[in-house]
Amino acid sequence: MSTLLAVVLDLAPAQWHAAAKASTSPLPLATFIQHLNAFLNAHIAANNDNIIAVFAALPGTSVMLYPAAEPHVPVPDANSYTPFKLLDSAIIHGIERELDVIADSDNEVPVALVGALSKALCYINRLTIAQPTAKNEHALDPHILVLSVSPDLSSSYIPIMNAIFSAQKLKVTIDVCKIYGPETVFLQQAAHLTGGSYIYLERRDALLQYLTMSFLSAPALRKTLSVPTQDKIDFRVACFCHKNIVDIGFVCSVCLSIFCQPVPVCSTCKTRFPMKILQRLNAARPLLPSANSNGAARNSSPAGGRTNGNGNATRTR
Amino acid sequence: MPTSVCTAKASYKKAPGLLELTDTHIQWTQDGKKAPVVRFTHSEASSLFCSKEGAAQCRLKIAKYGDENGYNFAFTSPQPTASAEREKFKQELTAIITKNRAALELTQQTSVPPPSIPVTAPISNAPTPRIPPSHPAVSRAQSVVSERVNERRATTPIIPGNDAANDFRLRKKVLVSDPELASLHRDLVMSGQITETEFWDGREHLLLAQAAFENQKKGKPGQLVDPRPETVEGGEIKIRITPQLVHDIFDEYPVVAKAYSDNVPNKLSEAEFWKRYFQSKLFNAHRASIRSSATQHVVKDDPIFDKYLEKDDDGLEPRRQPAGDVDLFVDLGATLEDHGETGNERDITMQPGRQRGALPLIRKFNEHSERLLNSALGEASAAKRRKIDKDTYAAIELDDLRDSESSAGITLEMQDRERYFEGRTAAGSNGVDHEHLDFKTLVHEAKQNLQNWETNLNQLKIERKPGDAALMAMTTNVATRLDVRSRKNDIPVGLFTQMTTCQTAANEFLRQFWLSMYPQPNDVQTVVVATPAQRAAKAEKMIGYLSKTKEKVDALVRTAQADGVDHNRVEVAMKPLLNAVDWALTFYHTRKGAR
Ligand SMILES: [Zn+2]
Ligand SMILES: [Zn+2]
Repeated sequence: MSTLLAVVLDLAPAQWHAAAKASTSPLPLATFIQHLNAFLNAHIAANNDNIIAVFAALPGTSVMLYPAAEPHVPVPDANSYTPFKLLDSAIIHGIERELDVIADSDNEVPVALVGALSKALCYINRLTIAQPTAKNEHALDPHILVLSVSPDLSSSYIPIMNAIFSAQKLKVTIDVCKIYGPETVFLQQAAHLTGGSYIYLERRDALLQYLTMSFLSAPALRKTLSVPTQDKIDFRVACFCHKNIVDIGFVCSVCLSIFCQPVPVCSTCKTRFPMKILQRLNAARPLLPSANSNGAARNSSPAGGRTNGNGNATRTR
Repeated sequence: MPTSVCTAKASYKKAPGLLELTDTHIQWTQDGKKAPVVRFTHSEASSLFCSKEGAAQCRLKIAKYGDENGYNFAFTSPQPTASAEREKFKQELTAIITKNRAALELTQQTSVPPPSIPVTAPISNAPTPRIPPSHPAVSRAQSVVSERVNERRATTPIIPGNDAANDFRLRKKVLVSDPELASLHRDLVMSGQITETEFWDGREHLLLAQAAFENQKKGKPGQLVDPRPETVEGGEIKIRITPQLVHDIFDEYPVVAKAYSDNVPNKLSEAEFWKRYFQSKLFNAHRASIRSSATQHVVKDDPIFDKYLEKDDDGLEPRRQPAGDVDLFVDLGATLEDHGETGNERDITMQPGRQRGALPLIRKFNEHSERLLNSALGEASAAKRRKIDKDTYAAIELDDLRDSESSAGITLEMQDRERYFEGRTAAGSNGVDHEHLDFKTLVHEAKQNLQNWETNLNQLKIERKPGDAALMAMTTNVATRLDVRSRKNDIPVGLFTQMTTCQTAANEFLRQFWLSMYPQPNDVQTVVVATPAQRAAKAEKMIGYLSKTKEKVDALVRTAQADGVDHNRVEVAMKPLLNAVDWALTFYHTRKGAR
């Protein structure tokens, strides 16, 4: 079974600098490149029809490294297998070129992970459309592998969620290999929602071991192969107003924002709610002295009495 | 001076006279007299009966509201004038009676099923051909009225809570159709844990749905009349003739109705008629499919029925021309001029009548569908449909051809995003030193790392220790998951059932509890609204039940121990339930304390 693998490389220079100096199992960028190339070569060697695409997320920019727009033609080398060499050198030269472009900036801005992810999705979409589907239904088994070192970027929450929805629609699996840095909630969700694996590296120096064991097989084969994945994901809901974890939330019927108490105007989408609904919802407010809340949910006496309206109190767990 | 709509020579109580319909009244004047003997207004007419076609006398009975005996008139002109005159009266009176009934319903606002079409009911009770409903011209205003009546009927279900007997019937129906709910009902209500009323509290929508379902007016069945032989024994074919079948056949094939009224009972007996019909070529032509050639040999020449045989409707033009204009969208001839002169190829994909053999069948289906639609749309449809056709420009304006209008939408602007996420992400940060590093240096360092990548790749080597550690960690991860999946459920059936019952019962108590705690929604159509006191009493009762849940679970755990089952698994299984119960208990006591 052939697969279409799109790899997204997180190339944040500062994070790689830190990864190389990590107290436990450090991983310099050079070693990462070494393992990565071996993994990619293994992928194209596994099946003649396997397709690879490599995208890089760099500070403030994202780029497609392979297949390259202007292929770098390497010197013929009797000691290496040409397809490997074409792939590997395209990636290296692409990264070098992009690093040269950003070398003159003074400040490090966050990497454009969403940009790279979107490019990968677009590329997969193009190949999927171009492919005659009649021949074989799952001729292409597309998956994206994100090799991440940066922490979550809160401003990219909505774009990432949109990318996840697109991936779901395209039936693209998103795998995440967290090489360095704190766990990222966004990428955990991306993997979970698309049926992929999220792996946090405990031994960075054994990167290739993780890559081959978890991400080399086609997603369709994983039911049989049983690949590792994250064992717990944080699904708890925090209110948008105080960022407290809530058991009962009030959800905006327009944009699905969550609040720990009824609000007259949704702070996210500015939708106004009728007074009657507010009264009704107020009467339904939880009165528990929640252990999680820091006094934000005051135990004021409920408005009382029955009121009209179609409220939308939603219990979340 | 009232205007006369139609008149006819007719006898009333055997006396000759003149029957007259004016724009306000129905009246009959005996010959030689000046003042009418019978005279009443349009609004008094309630129903209409006709003698069957071809009967010795051409009679018309008009009944009044409050006088079902009505007036019996016999048309006295020689045939066929008498029939034609009666037909005219029938048309006009049908329209009047329809209007009267619609008006009556509006004032009464009943939810009884609609009366059958007020056209004709045969006076004789033999299976008599129903005369095809006439289509009197209906004014726009009138059609609007009747539409409104229909709408009301569709949206006013019987409101549960009004009528105990009806409620009981509805509840029973709901339970019969939902075995799971029925078993919950058995467990809780039959055992006396909660009352019937409590059980249905919050489930009103099920009863409403059932009531709405029952109130739905059933349309005419769409099936084409196609009597099938029941048994075939020694070449004998048996078809059971029911009044419904007779009605359907007459409705679908008016020619059979005509044959019936022409020949029964003078030339053929009722039984003989049907026997010969089912063996005739006429019947064979009416079959919905050219299904069995086996029946072919049964078909006999029949001097009576063969007269009614129509030529196969397979000419280029259908025998029955469609009434009104054909919608350009479905008119295959509409694009004819686009081909030929302009140089376009002739449309060969959609040629009418390319398969001549299929034409009679297709036309039969079309006519059937049209009849069906007409019966569903009612009289208003004709005027309505024509209105749509009139605007040709609107007809060619397709949604697909219009530019999609972009809407700005509502931007999803989350306030204070950073704060929302920082709390959750910062926790896992593994001691990154926040030393300030020059970006240029960092980029340079990254570039350095790319040097000699080829040599690097050739020297790839993974240390054994980290490799083994990674392998072990991943294997454990997979194994844990597989273990859970492969573990089979070895809890004994008896205990398992007890656990399930405990769970469903407690869930129901929880449902009832929260229902009595939270404000009542006002959108549920129910007459029974619990008073605050009733609600409080119910909440207390439920809390009483809920506080026993822990004991019940403990008992289950003990049973497990006695049965030699791992009691931890029972505890784990019941834990979410206990959590939910605890939550409800705490909530209840906190609220009580706050008051
Ligand atoms: Zn809040
Ligand atoms: Zn909103």
